[in-house]
Amino acid sequence: MSDITTLNGGSCIAFKGKNCVAIACDLRLGNQALTVACNRDKVFKITDKTYLGMTGLASDVDTLRSAFRYRLNMYRMKEEREIEPETFAHLVSSTLYEKRFGPYFIEPIIAGLNSNNEPFIAAADLIGCLNFAKDFVVTGTASDKLFGMAEGLWEPDLGPEELFESISQALLGALERDALSGWGAIVRVITPDKVIERTLQSRQD
Amino acid sequence: MNSILSRFSSTNALPANFDNEGGRQDFQDSINGAPAQFDLPGTEPARFLSQYTDVDSSNPAARIKLQHGTTTLAFRYKGGIIVCVDSRATAGSYIASGTVKKVIEINPYLLGTMAGGAADCQYWECRLHELRNKERISVAAASKYLSNIVYSYKGMGLSMGTMICGWDKTGPALFYVDSDGTRLKGDVFSVGSGSTFAYGVLDQGYHWDLTDAEAQELGRRSIYAATHRDAYSGNTINLYHVKEEGWEFIANYDAMNLHYDGPGDNVPGAPGGGYGWDVRTQGLSSKLEATEGQQTSGQGGRFADEQPLTASVQPPQA
Amino acid sequence: MECSFGITGKGYTIIASDSNAARSIVKMKTDEDKQKVLSDHLVMTYSGESGDTLQFSEYIERNLRLYGIRNHVELRPRAAASWIRAQIADSLRTRNAYQVNLLLGGFDLPTSEPALYWVDYLGTLATVPFAAHGYGAFFALSTLDRYHRPDMSLEEGLDLLRRCINELKTRFIVDLGTFKVRVVDREGVREVKL
Repeated sequence: MSDITTLNGGSCIAFKGKNCVAIACDLRLGNQALTVACNRDKVFKITDKTYLGMTGLASDVDTLRSAFRYRLNMYRMKEEREIEPETFAHLVSSTLYEKRFGPYFIEPIIAGLNSNNEPFIAAADLIGCLNFAKDFVVTGTASDKLFGMAEGLWEPDLGPEELFESISQALLGALERDALSGWGAIVRVITPDKVIERTLQSRQD
Repeated sequence: MNSILSRFSSTNALPANFDNEGGRQDFQDSINGAPAQFDLPGTEPARFLSQYTDVDSSNPAARIKLQHGTTTLAFRYKGGIIVCVDSRATAGSYIASGTVKKVIEINPYLLGTMAGGAADCQYWECRLHELRNKERISVAAASKYLSNIVYSYKGMGLSMGTMICGWDKTGPALFYVDSDGTRLKGDVFSVGSGSTFAYGVLDQGYHWDLTDAEAQELGRRSIYAATHRDAYSGNTINLYHVKEEGWEFIANYDAMNLHYDGPGDNVPGAPGGGYGWDVRTQGLSSKLEATEGQQTSGQGGRFADEQPLTASVQPPQA
Repeated sequence: MECSFGITGKGYTIIASDSNAARSIVKMKTDEDKQKVLSDHLVMTYSGESGDTLQFSEYIERNLRLYGIRNHVELRPRAAASWIRAQIADSLRTRNAYQVNLLLGGFDLPTSEPALYWVDYLGTLATVPFAAHGYGAFFALSTLDRYHRPDMSLEEGLDLLRRCINELKTRFIVDLGTFKVRVVDREGVREVKL
């Protein structure tokens, strides 16, 4: 039996740009070597300007999605405003740390614009250690390959279209070298006025 | 192999006569002119190998990961033999290469497919046989040579499943040979981690009287099916056709292009359009609108005539 | 060695499961019904650890029936799948986790679409046009990839199911015998003879 975190496969990446952020993921749901579905989106909307990507064990991703939805709704009711991405990152961290000695097997990344439209990205490990990156964050079975691609393709201050190009190339390049991720990809670029969502035509093998 | 190995307790790769205390002594002796003792790697290559490679995927700590994932197929029909393979090599989940040649061209009349390790020792035996007997080696003899060679390595950790395909004086012939020593004559074989997926399409489309175009299409579709579902098969597909005059390399197809566009225009047997399910079924829907008088919501049915529970209790007037 | 299939088509979902109840090398029963009708438009087939399967499926069946009785409306397939998945996920980190793999087939009346969900013992939920559990998945998924269309008629859908079962008969080492087949469409759930 292989590693539980690589059972289902999947990868996610987020880039920081100039007044925008981009978050992308692949679409595979697998069971070790067998591909079960090619329609599993790993990025979820938190608020209009914040998105959360989660890779790892698919069951825990769904469980945490409900947990975060509950906590977000409570926050919205108490504070009467939408949550900032940085606050949400801390919310993710504390939720994961609650299970320190029996953790959820996921690796989340958070990407968003705060209320001043400043870009924000962060990643956490499975027990909630946050990494506030200045450039990009990667997670999933293809993370090693994504690191390499992102290091080469990321530049500071990219606009929305250029950011879309570079994150797409980074993701597609890494997916070519990972057997457990792929089968389609979705990229979302979050800008102050709108979120541009595009599916990429990627390898289906 | 492991069941036999596990009866031995020692996992030390060093030979039995190496002594931790005396080791330094030996070394010193060799420097001082006494006969040098070479440290042999041990007299059991199989055990040595299994410590460093994950021979049957049961040793995750092994530093050398053998490349097991693949899909190869070959089938016999009235027009010869179709041989079709993928080209991905993986080490764990890393795709080490997407351009591996898994079909070995043994001679102009014989092809061998490779799943697992290489099988190029076969080449020499065939040539020797030709020179001795002044006629082309039969597929049965070639596969028997390979089977015998491989059997002598049984238990050493070779992992190989190959199909020997050729056209000899008995007609088209196909043999499956593997590293356990199995040798099977047959009409349809598929080997590798994605073989079950290939069988799923191959069996459903196979019959003896296929035309050449249909047979090539079936080979392509079957390997494509395996590349789509199996994570460890993919990249490109190589298609060969063995005829009476010898084998012919048909083409190399990229699995991504097959998914979205199909094998291309002017390819005989291909109806056109991509092989992928989402491409093939674009625009089709399984929605079935209700006609007159049919139920459209879950409300009603068994519970329609019952009073709702909430209305039955009225609080007393204050 | 258990196997189940789910296929959606034009306005219906087919759910099929093998009918063997086996212990070690013995087939104890060959006409076992491994499906539960959860509501008027939802069927679930289960496989996995014996004991867990029956307990879990009966628990689900009774709770969904209770929901229907309390609320005078049946739970929609998507909601039911989500709830069932949550039950498995909640039990995952307890001492006796349920080890059941499920296929949920239903018909969603408000949208007039068939629904099929693949749920595994870890609580993974996938929405798919066709699905299989067990070793049968390794053979039949590629057959389904090749021949399935979302707008197939019921006859074509049953033909495709026959193809999958035939593929298993040809290539799978274990003979799975006859399959129990149910169809869910707008009218409800009914059993079908292949």
